[in-house]
Amino acid sequence: MLHNITLIPHLVRMYVRTRMEYRGAMFLAWLSQGFSYGAMYATIALIIARFDNLGGWQWPDMALLLAFHLLAYSLGASLSFTQFRDIEEKVRLGTFDAILVKPVGPWTFLVFSGLNIGYGGHVILATGLMAWSLTQVGLAWSPLLVLYFVAALISAAMLTAALMTMIGTTALVWVRSRHLFSIFFGFWELARYPLNIFPAPLQMLMITLAPLAFLAFVPVAVILGKPVPLLGAWAPLASLAAGPLCMLLAVFHWRWCLRNYQGAGG
Amino acid sequence: MAAIISADGVDKTFRQLKRQSGLAGGLRSLFSRTYTEIRAVSDITFAIEPGEAVGYLGPNGAGKSTMIKMMTGILTPSAGALSVLGREPHTNRMRNAREIGVVFGQRSQLWWDLPVRDSFALNRHIYDIPEARFADNLAFLTEMLDMGAYLDRPVRQLSLGQRMRAEIALALLHDPKIIFLDEPTIGLDVVAKDAVRKFLARVNRERGTTIILTTHDLVDIEEICPRLIMVDDGKLLFDGELTRLRADLGSRRRLTLEFATDPGPLPLATATLSRDEGAAKHYLLEDEAISLIDVLNEVGRGHGLKDVKLEEPDIEEVIRTFYQNKSRLAGAAS
Amino acid sequence: MRAGAYPAFALTAFQSRLAYRNQVWASAFGELVISFAFIAIWTAAFAGQVVVDGATLPEMITYVMIAGLLYWNTDRLINDVGEAVRTGDITIFLLKPLSYPASLLATHFGHYVFDQLVVTLPVLLIVGFSVGLLPPASLFHALMALPFWALSWLMLFTLGALCGLLAFWLLTAFALEWFLKGIMALASGAIVPLWFMPGWLSGILGYLPFAWVSYYPTAIYLGKLDPPATFLYFGIGLAWLAALGGFLAWLWSRARHRLIVQGG
Ligand SMILES: Nc1ncnc2c1ncn2[C@@H]1O[C@H](COP(=O)(O)OP(=O)(O)OP(=O)(O)O)[C@@H](O)[C@H]1O
Ligand SMILES: [Mg+2]
Repeated sequence: MLHNITLIPHLVRMYVRTRMEYRGAMFLAWLSQGFSYGAMYATIALIIARFDNLGGWQWPDMALLLAFHLLAYSLGASLSFTQFRDIEEKVRLGTFDAILVKPVGPWTFLVFSGLNIGYGGHVILATGLMAWSLTQVGLAWSPLLVLYFVAALISAAMLTAALMTMIGTTALVWVRSRHLFSIFFGFWELARYPLNIFPAPLQMLMITLAPLAFLAFVPVAVILGKPVPLLGAWAPLASLAAGPLCMLLAVFHWRWCLRNYQGAGG
Repeated sequence: MAAIISADGVDKTFRQLKRQSGLAGGLRSLFSRTYTEIRAVSDITFAIEPGEAVGYLGPNGAGKSTMIKMMTGILTPSAGALSVLGREPHTNRMRNAREIGVVFGQRSQLWWDLPVRDSFALNRHIYDIPEARFADNLAFLTEMLDMGAYLDRPVRQLSLGQRMRAEIALALLHDPKIIFLDEPTIGLDVVAKDAVRKFLARVNRERGTTIILTTHDLVDIEEICPRLIMVDDGKLLFDGELTRLRADLGSRRRLTLEFATDPGPLPLATATLSRDEGAAKHYLLEDEAISLIDVLNEVGRGHGLKDVKLEEPDIEEVIRTFYQNKSRLAGAAS
Repeated sequence: MRAGAYPAFALTAFQSRLAYRNQVWASAFGELVISFAFIAIWTAAFAGQVVVDGATLPEMITYVMIAGLLYWNTDRLINDVGEAVRTGDITIFLLKPLSYPASLLATHFGHYVFDQLVVTLPVLLIVGFSVGLLPPASLFHALMALPFWALSWLMLFTLGALCGLLAFWLLTAFALEWFLKGIMALASGAIVPLWFMPGWLSGILGYLPFAWVSYYPTAIYLGKLDPPATFLYFGIGLAWLAALGGFLAWLWSRARHRLIVQGG
């Protein structure tokens, strides 16, 4: 365990140096992704500009929701998305086998030897938008609120990482998991709108089986003091528990898949 | 001495998806799929002593890689008992990992975009190799494998031969007790193969590192591994000394007699004529007990015998005969 | 050059997708969820109003469904070209008696048909039966929607192929894919129709080629353009396609030249 932790800086350093070999492409990617999210948010702003609000959320509220969504996602995804998306390929090429014969926790190795610094564009856009929206929504800041804000952000990032871990790890047993990622991103896209505008079954789905409501809507609604459907007063607690709980589940799932790993032919 | 690796009735069964062909088959597979069971390794038993070098040989799909994956703890056997360094490899994968080295011929463990040296340095941390020990080993391996010229070049710029030597060095930096190599010489040219073989033989001899290697190239086994384990279709065919394989099969030594002038047909009782080129005649010696003297006595004087050449059978031929016999047996049985 | 080879590319692409059964189910499911979400978004936006800027809620629901259908995901196309450039596999095509752009067109036509038939059509049916979709505004608009549909796909293909080929010079298709994604989100009208945008913005976007991907075909279907305007905009769209197609051909000839001279 301690060995794993002391190894982390070395693994991260290797990966960062690899990415820096192609830094031009990386900065271009930051720019393009920042642009792309910006354009997407502009379309949402256009809807609200024409219709005043979306389910009772005005543009500054929406901006905070979008910023929280993007920031929590990119923090969690930097620890998980590319790493676990590529497990499928690592299994097929046998590079996952090579990870298993090292005296390191394979999760530690996988996550930190690929700690994705490609989310620069996301983070810059998200923090910028968040800062602007916070000046607009007029929150009554208190130490408790600050604490909640930070904790909810961490929980949401954990949720992202945990879900990605679970999805990607499935490839160890079922060989393929890409399709599960497309389902994830389907719900992930919905998660940037106010939950209350969706039909009840969808709301239910998004706080249970596909718990992406906790990625942004629930915490931001709590911060803004807006009603949370289905959860009501439990919303603050639930949003803080969602990340750690999913993480725990992910740990069990990862262990189970590792035990049942079959490798690939050749 | 206790065995460092022992396998007792080890089995591995995979489930494989049956692909359906054609448009109709593809559409059908959207709704239902069928699987077949593949017994990649079946009932394998052997024991390997510390310091041995063992070649694991067999045709494609024989289950060699699968066996290596089980011994290194990557896969769990479906049945049977396996022990490596006194432990069950799958349940003790991480503990065993410190004491073994693994080289996969077809996939790299080096960091593609970084200098070779960086991958080595990372392994120092991964395996907690003491600073001095690391420096010694790196110097020794660099010298032995002649890597000095490219230690600071990114891996993506290396030739396959250079990369393979780096892979092997990477697997040996932490002084493993056993090194597993899955087709380490695949794709290398003659010179690179030779360098790798000489090096592995030396590591085995001087450091006492146990070597298990799978290969299709018989010369690998001839030069590195005194002991041979042959598998086909998951099953063990032969386990023993290479020389014993020859003896078991009856060593068909090759004899060439050269005469000053063509002596005409010359049938012998002690050897079978295989090819007659007139002044040069080729024979096969089927019987181990017959010596060159016996043959020469039979030929006698007066034919103007100029030169005699006796060749031991090469291993390719031994194995080919082995497989031929086996398929003949299988054919007779069915 | 055998023209008969090209349909084979399309068929192979179509069949290859069948092998990924989970991917098919997941895409259809994801598409369904997103469709219901967009319906919910517009329902919430209208918030009880009957007509906004001349459009009713049922019209908007039909709009998002059709515009979404037309807004085909070009990631696979850009990736294919980008990978072929990166790995140098593209040189293999120079040795074959085939035109690379044409084989690419055939292959991705196969993918397009697959996506529409297996993924989008079932979703349209489900939404049609559960929520309800409007029929075309008139026979004229129904008939005109078809050539607009073809134009829409060709436009998307050309844009995607352009982004992929630019990887020759920029060495990364990834960033281009994201730039295109961003532009399309806003300018294709797949999410917000141009009539809800401020005048200055719809004025600009209405003349950029991206609007022919989702906005115009759907607007025609809903009868938002009268016959003369329909023909006019079809003409403008064709002109854009010709211009972009010409640019693509020119880029490809430059790329070929580079490959031949520099050996990849
Ligand atoms: N993960 C897997 N899933 C299904 N079948 C597998 C898997 N791994 C191996 N097999 C099958 O098991 C058999 C043995 O494979 P293995 O890779 O061990 O052969 P090998 O002796 O290493 O062959 P080669 O010389 O080609 O490397 C093959 O029939 C292969 O298709
Ligand atoms: Mg193998």
